[in-house]
Amino acid sequence: MENSRRNASGRPKASGSDFEAEQENIQELGREVPVGSADYLAPKSLKKALEYRSRYGYKAVVIAGGTDIMVDYFERLSEVSSWLDLTKIQDLKEIKFGPEKIRLGSMVTHRKLATDSRIRENLPLLAESASEVGAWQIQSRGTLGGNIVTSSPAGDALAPLLAYQARFILGSVSGQREVAAEDFFTGPKENVMTQEELLIEVVIPTPREGTLSRWKKVGKRKAMIISSLTMALLLELDDKDEITAARAAYGAVAPRPIRATELEVYLTGRKLTEISAGKAGELAAQEISPITDIRGTVDFRCQVTRDITEQALLGFQQE
Amino acid sequence: MSKVKVAFTLNDQEISLLVQPGERLLDTIRDRLNLTGTKEGCGVGECGACTVMLDGQAVNSCLVLTAQVDGREVRTVEGLGGEEEVDKLQQAFIDHQAVQCGFCTPGMLMSARALLNDTSSPTREDIKTALDGNLCRCTGYKQIVEAVEAAAEAEGAD
Repeated sequence: MENSRRNASGRPKASGSDFEAEQENIQELGREVPVGSADYLAPKSLKKALEYRSRYGYKAVVIAGGTDIMVDYFERLSEVSSWLDLTKIQDLKEIKFGPEKIRLGSMVTHRKLATDSRIRENLPLLAESASEVGAWQIQSRGTLGGNIVTSSPAGDALAPLLAYQARFILGSVSGQREVAAEDFFTGPKENVMTQEELLIEVVIPTPREGTLSRWKKVGKRKAMIISSLTMALLLELDDKDEITAARAAYGAVAPRPIRATELEVYLTGRKLTEISAGKAGELAAQEISPITDIRGTVDFRCQVTRDITEQALLGFQQE
Repeated sequence: MSKVKVAFTLNDQEISLLVQPGERLLDTIRDRLNLTGTKEGCGVGECGACTVMLDGQAVNSCLVLTAQVDGREVRTVEGLGGEEEVDKLQQAFIDHQAVQCGFCTPGMLMSARALLNDTSSPTREDIKTALDGNLCRCTGYKQIVEAVEAAAEAEGAD
């Protein structure tokens, strides 16, 4: 608990004369304030949400599924002066399958990702990782966007998003910008978003048919565990079994989710059968920069990264 | 701080309330509505004792703001079964002695109910997965899993 309190304490608290004046105004209207007051903003449209975001910024705590933020504010909920609740915005819950791109609204839940047959078929790394987030109760509420914006290096969706070369659409009242997943995360629980922006959508190029992929989550128990490390490995092969593209992403082994580029260079252009799985594991272990914490030591993380990478490649070769 | 007006369905009844913006669904259920079947264990989504169903899905009521359930449907353990008889799951928990101290039981029942509403013939593995987020510290899980299996069979036979 200490940990999350420390993280949360960095969040700016609501204050400032404009904001307080607005609260007073609303209270003058009467005692019964509908959902959507300054204390509790629950817009139904994205446009309105962005207006609130522009107006209040960090003064209003954004809440989606609440599975991170409610833990951050455990026993301090009364300190939050204003909430911006995104759960009524239906547009953010949509999944769109195009011929070239799959677009996932930021409010799509882990449960939806884990159970939707088209996601399971097209984006298995994401579906499998979603099925291992927390437990059902967490999956029912927690959202893809929340996992991204929380930006924990151990966030389960993050390595798959890097492996799929996802791009994030950030919106504000002045427009939208697109950021590659790889450029989005800047450190533990840090990212490039400003206080005017909301994450709207995740765009993933539809993987080619026959793409091979492996997801692995390592933790101290199966359910309700923050990952000790995660791996999302993806290979595209041509009809001669030659690897035309390789993407190897890892979580909880560096200050932010990372790709092991030297491993990718080694894999690309080689035939799958000619790959040395042992060498691939070594390369992966060399590229990570883990820390020792309660979820594992540096040695453990290096060794396990090497082993799961090697096993994944051996698995591909046997298929 | 202004209160927020929230209207939702609780155990098939329409209700309307004024709540604090930062009020947890768990506290509204227990302290405002006096439905104390739902328990608070850890308060941070780890133990599942506070599990309720929100639009048919199992959720931790300690991680939901009451204001977020506006317009939605909530079911607590008090909303299982009917006036006269208990839910088949509750009967199965009794028959299989799946209760010891009973603190985890309401949460277990709600997670299991969400599973059975979703899947009519779950495997043992499905049941274990559905109960992953619910901790029991005294009975062990064997009787609980058996009770859910029995309830699934009983419902399948209907």
